[in-house]
Amino acid sequence: MAIPGAKDSIDEATFEQILEMDDDEDEREFSRSIVYDFFTQAESTFDKMDANLARSEKKDLKTLSELGHFLKGSSATLGLNKVKDSCEKIQNYGQKKDEKGEKEITEEEGLKKLETTIEQAKQEFHDVEKVLKKFYNDES
Amino acid sequence: MSPLRPRDLTAFSLAPTTVNLPPPTDSDSGSLVLDILCYTPTPTFVLDANLRVIHVSDSFRSVSSHLNRDQLLGIHVDDFCAKVTLPSNALVRGGIRAAQNTASSSMLEERLHDRIWTLRTVPIIRNDTVRCFLMEVQDTTEAHRRQLELEERSYTNETFKILVDTVKDYAIFMLDPQGYVATWNAGAQTFKGYTKSEIIGKHFSNFYSQEDRDNDKPGRELRDALRDGRCEDEGWRIRKDGSRFWANVVITPVYKDNVLLGFSKVTRDLTERKKAESTLISAYEEASKLKSEFLANMSHEIRTPMHGMLAALTLLLDTDLNPEQLELARVIEESGEVLLQVINDILDYSKLASGNFPISHDIISVSDIILSVFRTHEKCSKPNVLLQKSIDPKLPSAAEGDSLRYRQIVQNLLSNATKFTDEGYVRMQAKLQQEDDEYYTILTEVVDSGIGVPAIASGSLFTPFTQFDNSATKRYKGTGLGLSICKSLAELMGGKIGFHPNSEGKGSVFWFTAKLKKVKQLGQVELLQRKLETLSTASSTHAFDELRSLARNRRILIAEDNAINRKVMLKMLTGLGFESIDVATDGNEAVRLSTRQIPPNNSSPYDLIMLDINMPFLDGTQATKKIREAGIDVPIMAMTANALKGQAESYIAKGMTAYIAKPVDRKLLVELLLSCLQKRDGLG
Repeated sequence: MAIPGAKDSIDEATFEQILEMDDDEDEREFSRSIVYDFFTQAESTFDKMDANLARSEKKDLKTLSELGHFLKGSSATLGLNKVKDSCEKIQNYGQKKDEKGEKEITEEEGLKKLETTIEQAKQEFHDVEKVLKKFYNDES
Repeated sequence: MSPLRPRDLTAFSLAPTTVNLPPPTDSDSGSLVLDILCYTPTPTFVLDANLRVIHVSDSFRSVSSHLNRDQLLGIHVDDFCAKVTLPSNALVRGGIRAAQNTASSSMLEERLHDRIWTLRTVPIIRNDTVRCFLMEVQDTTEAHRRQLELEERSYTNETFKILVDTVKDYAIFMLDPQGYVATWNAGAQTFKGYTKSEIIGKHFSNFYSQEDRDNDKPGRELRDALRDGRCEDEGWRIRKDGSRFWANVVITPVYKDNVLLGFSKVTRDLTERKKAESTLISAYEEASKLKSEFLANMSHEIRTPMHGMLAALTLLLDTDLNPEQLELARVIEESGEVLLQVINDILDYSKLASGNFPISHDIISVSDIILSVFRTHEKCSKPNVLLQKSIDPKLPSAAEGDSLRYRQIVQNLLSNATKFTDEGYVRMQAKLQQEDDEYYTILTEVVDSGIGVPAIASGSLFTPFTQFDNSATKRYKGTGLGLSICKSLAELMGGKIGFHPNSEGKGSVFWFTAKLKKVKQLGQVELLQRKLETLSTASSTHAFDELRSLARNRRILIAEDNAINRKVMLKMLTGLGFESIDVATDGNEAVRLSTRQIPPNNSSPYDLIMLDINMPFLDGTQATKKIREAGIDVPIMAMTANALKGQAESYIAKGMTAYIAKPVDRKLLVELLLSCLQKRDGLG
């Protein structure tokens, strides 16, 4: 089942698996609920990340890493590749590692990269959100 | 003292070569003069102003056998020369001429029978008139030779000195035995900036950096030179102005008659060469890095659509296809899998080539790995090929290593063996080769009775992109990367890889060793759990049906902190026929729920526990530990999005039974659930 405009951002096989769990292919109640739950979860996770970055005292990289991991799990389950990849980077940067989690980087570098990557993740999330809303015929 | 008269002054001024002969008298002084003339050891004769011989010494006998003095006295010098062996008339005439011209003595040489003779002619002058000529003949061959030698030696010394002094491309100088600078040349001045007067007497450690001096590198170099007869070093040296240059230095002790004179030190400035070298090296590294990155990126880019294709194909194969379509789809599947393998090989190779290939240090069991590979191959072995295994009971049940990588080598060698063996046998054997306090060295061999390897190709077996028989490529697919990857992997594990022909006849033996670090023994429960790990390979539709029949009445616990994943898993499991599913949102809850005792027989509340690895409060592995400590031995499946290489084995080593990556693939989940539940039944 092809999702229009989802090329690159959604892993079809994974998302297909979710769609297959729908009892009714017209209603798509289960997958819809999952997808919308994810929207909520993503928004709140990004809010937490923003709040952490906005802190005037020392930023908590570990928490950012955990938040990245958390969102990585659910975006992976839905097959939202781009968001998942960015979350993985957030997880790694938060651990003061490079994007692949192989080499050590400094805290400043990590923080800098975190800021841009979180913005990127949000953008990717909003892009895929549009595609999914369209898929579920919700143009609002 | 009375003042000297001018005439006397002249007489004295000619001394010592001019003798003022007094008129011959019978006085004592007269007989003394005669004695001198007669008994002088130097062969001597005297001519008067008319060149007639008036005296011949006794010693003249030694140069001329004519000794009848009477025959010689009074005759003209020309006649004299005709009679005696020495000197020749020409020489005598030369001496006389010189004496007449210069009024001073002269020395003339002539050669006779390989000897050199010198005629010394002394004119005896009185009142400005030559009275007579005193002529002495001497054999000066030795003196002559010594003179020549001396000249030669001093010429050599001089040349060397000029050479050393003027060489500008080498600093060449001497140190005294304590290391103080003793000589200096132009090259040294150019390189190091010190003039001769500034540096002579200073210690040569001035040329070294502070760090080298702190480490006593200069002293060490002198000691090394003394011990080994020579010390060569390349490194940074410091100029007078503090700047540094890359130097090659050779220090050699210099001895004379077994006494140490000091050290010669020859320094070359290799800064330019060093710079060129590092430019080359960095250019090479850059190029190599770009190549590896390109390969890695390309493979990665190709892999993504390949996965999509294969996933779609899997779905296609599950639909109702007619036999012809099925056949075609299978061809696509097979080719796709080969292509994926090629891509994975290239990805591995480029990572290995760029040197950033991570090797994990999990707890692994070599015999389990070999059994698992064996089982996989058993299913698809050729009918005429007997697959055998032999595992040394001394193999450790647990050691530190990278299970995935170990498996990759075994798998590769085994697939090669089966690929090239059409009949006979393929045998895997593993044994403990060596054991010390820290490491096990394990030898794994794959022996086959296949087509073997021609001797000519055995040298390049482990070279990338070579296949020993290009014609075989058509029949036996592959990248030619497999063995070179295995070689790098074996080396990363501190081992070696090799090949030798099968001594039992035709075929090959491929072997590799790996050094695995020892770990402390695992607990019994964990060991028991490890034995549960296997994969069912039943076909998917069959597995699906089988699981459905098993799922009813099975109780499952899912621990997952992410609500979305929880919901999806729950739905998936429900779809697979499970009816009794509990959920936990963190590790503590998972432990609490799974360690409740259910009467009447205090059995475990669940048949299967699925744990997310990253959970708040207590993660999946910690939760597993607690559950196992409570004596509960039900299968535990790990779920994680951290799909890193070797992770699966580490979870299994920590007491988990199986592992599944997120996003959870339903087909794989079915297989894993089936295998876990079947094992549990078998155990119960």
